[in-house]
Formats: sequence, structure tokens, C-alpha cells
Amino acid sequence: MRNQKFIFRKFIEIFTIFFIILTVLFFLFRLAPGDPVSKMVDPTLTPEDTQHMIEQLGLDKPAHIQYFIYVKNFFSGNLGRSFHYGEPVSTIIMDKLPCTVLLFTTSTLLAAFAGVFLGKIAAWSKGSGLDNFLSISALVCHTLFIPWFALLLLWILAYKVGWFPLGGIISPELWIDDASVFMKAIDVVHHMLLPLATLFFIHLGSYLLLMRSSMLSVLREDYIITARAKGLSEKVIRNKHAAKNAALPVITSVGLSLAFSINGGALTEQIFTWPGIGRELIFAVSNNDYPLAQACFLLIAAVVLIANLVVDLLYAYLDPRIRY
Amino acid sequence: MTILSVENLSIGYNTKKGLLTAVNNISFSLEHGRSLGFVGESGCGKTTIGMALMGLLPENAAILSGKIHFSGEDLSRFTEKQWRNIRGKEIAMIFQAAMNALNPVFRVGEQIAEAITTHNPDLSTDKVNDRLKTLFNMVEIPESRMSDFPHEYSGGMKQRAIIAMALACSPKLVVADEPTTALDVIVQDQILKEIKKIQKAMNMSLIFISHDIAVVAEVCENICVMYAGQIVEMGTKQEVFKSPKHPYTKTLLASYLSLDSDEDIFVPDMMETPDLTGINTGCRFSVNCNCKSKNCSKDAPGWIDLTSTHKAFCCEQGLGRKQS
Amino acid sequence: MRKNHYIMRFQKGWKIFIKNPLGKTGLFILFVFLIMAFASFFVPHIGPMYDPMTGTDPNIKVSTYPSLSHWLGTDNVGRDLFAQLLEGAKVAFIVGLSSAFISIVIGTAIGMISGYAGGIIDILLMRIADIIMVMPSLVILLILASIFGQFNIWIIVFIIAILRWPAVSRIIRSQTLSLKHRPFIEASRVAGASNIRIIFRHIMPNVLPLAFLYMTFRVTSAILVEAALSFLGFGDPSQVSWGMMLQWVWKTGHMFQAPYWLIPPGVCISLLTLAFYMLGRAMDEVLDPRLRKEGQA
Repeated sequence: MRNQKFIFRKFIEIFTIFFIILTVLFFLFRLAPGDPVSKMVDPTLTPEDTQHMIEQLGLDKPAHIQYFIYVKNFFSGNLGRSFHYGEPVSTIIMDKLPCTVLLFTTSTLLAAFAGVFLGKIAAWSKGSGLDNFLSISALVCHTLFIPWFALLLLWILAYKVGWFPLGGIISPELWIDDASVFMKAIDVVHHMLLPLATLFFIHLGSYLLLMRSSMLSVLREDYIITARAKGLSEKVIRNKHAAKNAALPVITSVGLSLAFSINGGALTEQIFTWPGIGRELIFAVSNNDYPLAQACFLLIAAVVLIANLVVDLLYAYLDPRIRY
Repeated sequence: MTILSVENLSIGYNTKKGLLTAVNNISFSLEHGRSLGFVGESGCGKTTIGMALMGLLPENAAILSGKIHFSGEDLSRFTEKQWRNIRGKEIAMIFQAAMNALNPVFRVGEQIAEAITTHNPDLSTDKVNDRLKTLFNMVEIPESRMSDFPHEYSGGMKQRAIIAMALACSPKLVVADEPTTALDVIVQDQILKEIKKIQKAMNMSLIFISHDIAVVAEVCENICVMYAGQIVEMGTKQEVFKSPKHPYTKTLLASYLSLDSDEDIFVPDMMETPDLTGINTGCRFSVNCNCKSKNCSKDAPGWIDLTSTHKAFCCEQGLGRKQS
Repeated sequence: MRKNHYIMRFQKGWKIFIKNPLGKTGLFILFVFLIMAFASFFVPHIGPMYDPMTGTDPNIKVSTYPSLSHWLGTDNVGRDLFAQLLEGAKVAFIVGLSSAFISIVIGTAIGMISGYAGGIIDILLMRIADIIMVMPSLVILLILASIFGQFNIWIIVFIIAILRWPAVSRIIRSQTLSLKHRPFIEASRVAGASNIRIIFRHIMPNVLPLAFLYMTFRVTSAILVEAALSFLGFGDPSQVSWGMMLQWVWKTGHMFQAPYWLIPPGVCISLLTLAFYMLGRAMDEVLDPRLRKEGQA
């Protein structure tokens, strides 16, 4: 019962924050120099259609009314019309969202698990050759510049040896020929491996280092001595008693480093031409397609907030001391 | 029947200042079903003895010499594997509850059950639960609290839980290290009575470590007074309390009780910290002693038997039996 | 008297810092880059051909491999890559340090005010900090670029600083909270000092070392975001930064043909980030005695 109140509170929180972001964006847009009409409305539309759009978006009304229309539009799913695609923005982003979610969640989960596992080993064998190797590798991975690392991977593994495709999510030939579901799945995975590897290694570094230092401080705690006094084997102490406590800060850090992960995700999508929201945003900005850019941004903001909520809940579930 | 016999045990710590002999050539023995208390100020080595009896000495500590005879084995030569067999099963430790001795992310019942199942892996869940209930009843914690987490327990309850955990496998010997420090006086009293009751009921041998001589006197039949890694006096409770002979014991008691004695009890205004470096055959208290004979630090004083059970590590002048 | 105290603390901290292998390596790498940054001032004097932005070798019309006259080779219009690399070092330092500095100023001020004032101001400020902290800076810069158009380098520096102060303010706030109830603060209050005076004269000197420690992490963050932004093509086109170099090699399609062009800028970004990170970790050890090894005071 206590838990439900906690979850409810959190929901209200993120909803409020999202609303604030929505509002701030509106104000910034109004503040910008230039003609808002040309920003929001496709310049290639006929004058009648243009007028129709202006009315729909409330661009001819005073600011506060425009704001209400803006909010109303947003929550009713009307996000405007993309200049470039000539289609409603909402269809476009709904198309791209699954790709981003797929890449993002897979890489984060893999990196988190690997980071916890390797960090645990590194801490346990502290000072040994293995520990030094893991720590230094993690440090290097942590400080790699994503576009550069991605380009390197592309160059060596895709261009030079041709093991992987140069980008995209599918090989169109395969899909037009209507291959089996299995083959299609393999195709997607094949395309996903390089971007996945990029994101995986970058994040592995920080999770490993964090788990390692967390583990080292947990191993100094008194309850580890108690566990030993009970006659437990070192393996059980490490994996059961120490690791569970040590993993908690790592989970929080997944939430905190979400901002960093999303930046990295957008860059990776761009380089590997992975059709996700990040790439769409960059594309929209380069092409002055403001409705699309705005929608991508708001979607990313929503994803960030929801992801934070999930991490908070997960942490509360795992650490019995946190119950509001 | 002697269950524990320690001969000439010396334990040292490797520190940046050199080798610190925390325990210097001590010998004592414990009969089955009896209780022995170790009293002394912080740093006198009593906790180190406790840890040595469990094989839980930290990495920079080592047994320099001596033997620990327990149930026909010499514990000072034990490998880690051998220790794991007897820790919790034959010898168990009651830690200070003020420490973080219980793992915060596991339920209390679970942790105590773990103590049972580590040494009895084939026990059915029902049997384990029965044993758990028996233990909780023994330490007087309501069964309904079994599935709570440690942070939901009060200080006194935590201490009882730790006692229950130590008793889980009905060990032959229990080492209690400052179990009532940091508890309220009333709770302290309850816990001490609890321990005494359980010890008698289970016919357990008990080693009780504390800096508070009043507490030790309440629980133990025999007492060892320690100073700077050496036992300076040992005897039955009555002997040590009613007729203390070693100058340090007298000082200790003078701080607590008012003795109706016509002896002038010398309580130094400021005690110098003893020098623990190196192995010393002399008396480490001599620097603070009021005794006229100042040779004790080098000339080894010996054990002077006062009665069949009472002896002191001192010189004749120190004991006041001889005029200088 | 206070000055001596600071100098002593600094000397003591320095001894611990310099023993740390991370600190030593970090400092060394940083030093190398500093030299590179300073060298960039002299490069145009060698010849107009070597100007990183405008200089082109009249004999070279395509991207070439490293040679004696061009140590790292040239880009596709004949500009010297090594000169660009040096210029990039200068830009990285300027961007990193100024952005970090502004972050620290804002974060420290807000942290102190929040911690000292408490109550509704504290809650409000920290909520704002929380919201800003979870937002991805690159994404925000992108949408802002979409609304406001191309930015020059100083606007970028400033926006990054605004997005990065929350982390600093949290630390400063906890420190302020622990200082708030110290006797000397009470004494000042009793003596009639105004709150502003207490904050800036008494609390600030005590939290400043901590603020500077966390500056190192802000620097890495700023350099990486600027590089990413430039890489995507939204940076300041009048500045030659490492990110910009990577953009050029990518946009001109040379990324697979010209390793001498692709590799150095990326290595530099990573190394500089690594150096600051090492510096930060070593300083951590100075400030937190628990992390020190045996044998140190």
C-alpha cells in the first residue's frame, strides 16, 4: 500500500516536469527572432492550406490562446506536419521510436549486466593483473569519443573487412523478396551489431568502474564479516551478500547517466544511419523542419522522464530501505 | 572438561609503524559450559583474541606464535577451508549490534536461516522454519518480525537477532564481542540476562569481551583482565572483584566502584599509551605503575599464584606484598 | 593567517596528489596538450600556408598523407592538419575551462543559497536542478539551434554551462548544509552580519576547494558536448575544433581513405578527456582521506 502511493507520486512528478518542459519550449519559440509562421508551417503549402494551418495552430491568435491550442494539440496527438516528409509528424516519430527503443534498451541492459559482472570480478581480484587490465580498459572505454569510435568501427569492420553493413537497419532486398521472419530478424540484428557494440563499450566502462568501487566499499562493511562468521564460502559472500548491495549505486547511475546515454545514442544513430528518433532530430534541425524537430525533442524528453521513473522504481524495489 | 586452551599466543599487526604486537604471549583455558570474560580498555587486544578464535583476523594480522587448542585441533594452524567448517557450527560470534552487522537488503529471518542451512544443507524448509521459530522464541523476538528488514528493528532487537544467528547451529563455544555496548542501560540489562539464561540452558561455553567490568562481572564466572595485549590478572569473579591484586585491576575497579579498603589506591591522573611495538617479555603497565620497583619493563615479572584459581602477572612489590 | 593556512593545505594536498599514478599521468598529458595549445599561437607566423582555417598549400589540391612539410598531412583543400590539431587544442581548453568556470560560478552560488536558505527556496532550486540534470545536453542544444539558428562559440559555452551547473550545486549544497550550523556561523549571525555577507565571506571560502575539484568533470563534459555538436555540423563554423575536424573528414567522405585525418582528432579528444578525468580522481583522493593508501597522513 505504501508502494502504490510512492508510484503515484512519482507519476505526478514526471507529468508536471514534462508539462513545464512543454511550456518552456513554447516560450523559447515565441522569443526567437524571425517569423513563427515560416517556422511552423510548411512553406510549400498553398495559401489556402497555409491559412488553414495557421488557424489550426492558432498562430494568428494572442499568445495565451495560442498556448492553450498548443497544449491541446499536443495531447490530442496533433504534432504538426513535417516539411520534409509532407506527413503528419506523429506518424513519422511513431515509426522511428521502436528502432531507438530497441537499440537503446539492448545496449543499456547488456552494458549494465556486463559492467556489474566484470566490476565484481575486478573488485574481488583487486590489485591483480586482471583487475588492472579491466580497470584500464574501462577507463579507456569511458573516455572514448563516440563519433570517432563509431567511425573507427565502421572503417575497420564494415569498410575494410566487410563483415558488417555500412548502416541502416535492414537490407531492403531481403525484405522486398519477403524472406522468412527468422531471416528478417537476423538481418536486423546484423545491422544492429555495430551500433550496439559502440554504445555497449562506451557504457561498459563507466558501469564497470562504478561497480568496482562500490564493491570495494561494500566489502569493507561489517555484515561481510558476519557472513564470514557464519561459515559462508567466499563465493557466496561475494555474489550474494556483497554484489547485491554493490549493484544498487550502479542502477542509480543508469538513471543519472541517461542524459549522457541519449546524447551518445543520437550520435550513434547518426553515424550508422540507424533510423531512430535521435537521427531524426538531427535531420530535422539540419533541414529547418521545426515541427519534426520539436516533436522529436519532446518525445526524447518524455522517454528520459519515463526511464528515470523506471530506474527509481527499480531501485526502490531492490533497496528495502527506500519506501516513502 | 577443557574445551578451549590457548598457549602462549601472540598476534601481531603489520602497520606502517612496524609490527604491533596486539596480543602478547597470553595463555588461558576454558572449561566446558563455563563463561570467561575479557576486560580491558580499547586497544588492549581483547577483540583481537575474539577474532583469532574465529579465524577472522584481518589481512595485515598474523598469529606470531602459540597454539589454540579446541576440540582436539590446533586452530592457529587452520586453513580457510577448515575454518569454514567450524565457523558458525562449532564456534560462533555475537557481534555488536551497533555495527552494521546485518545485511540491509535481506530479511532478518532469511539471514538467520542462512546460518542454519550453511551447515545443514539437507534440512527441509519446514525444519528450518521450525528451528527459526525456536530461535526467535529463545531470544524473545515476536515471530511476526521474522520477515522484517534490519532497519525496521530497534537496537535491542537487532542485538537479539544477532544472538539468535550465533546460536543457530547450537555451537559449542560462543564469543561475544561487546554485545551490549551502545545499547540503553535497561536494554543492556535485559540482553545480559538473556545471554546468561541461554548459556545455562544450552550448556554453552562463553567468552565475553567488554571494556565494562561491571557487565563482565554480571555474566561471567571467571575474568581475565587485559592491558596492552597482556593478561595481567585472572581469577574467579569474586576473587578479581573482592580482592584485586594487580595495580591495573585496582585502577580499573577504582574508576567504577568505591572499595572499602584501607589501601591507598593509586589512580594516575593520566595514563600513558602503552607501546605495542615488538614482542615484550616485560610488563607493559610498568610505565604507569606506582610500584617502587621500576625494573618490570625489562626484567620479566612472572605469574604469581595467589590462590589455586587466582593469579597475577606482576612483581612482589607491585602486588604490595613486599616492602621495597 | 588565512593565506598561510591555504598554502599549507595546498602543499599537503600536492604531495598526496603527485604520488598518485593517475594524477601524475593526467598532469603529464595535460601538460603536453597545453604546449600544443600555446604552439597554435605561433603557427600562423611560420607562414600563411599553415593557417588552420584559411591557409592552403598552393601545391596541394587534395588530401595528402603526412610529409615533411605537413606533419600530419593535409585535408581535402590543402590545409595543414597538424596546424588544425594545435588550434583544436586551444579551442578545447578555452571551451572546456570557460564553460566549467561559468558552471562552477552558477552552481556554487545556487548551491550555497539553497543550502543556507533552506525551506521553500531550497526545495524549488533543487527541483530545478534535478530537472536540468536529467536532460541530455546535446539534444537541448539541437532543439535550441533549431529555434534560434546557428550559434557562435561563446553562446555554446554559455548554454553548456547552464545545463551543467546542477551537479556542482548539489555538492556545494551538502557542504553548505554541514557548515551552516558551525559555531563560527552562529557567531557571525549574532554579531549582526547579513545573510549575504555570511554566505560570501564565510561559507564560500570553505566550499570553493570542492567546487574546483568538480570543475575537472565539468571540463570533460563541456569538451565532449562541443565536439559532438561540431561533429554534427552545428558548431561555430569559424572555429577549428577537433569535433569540426571530424565533421570535415566525415562530410567530405574521406573517413575511410584518410586515417591520418580521421585518427588524430579523435585520439586527442579522448586523451584530453582522460587526462582531466584522471586529474579529478586524483584530487578526489586528496580531498577524501578514506581513499588514501597506507602510509599517507
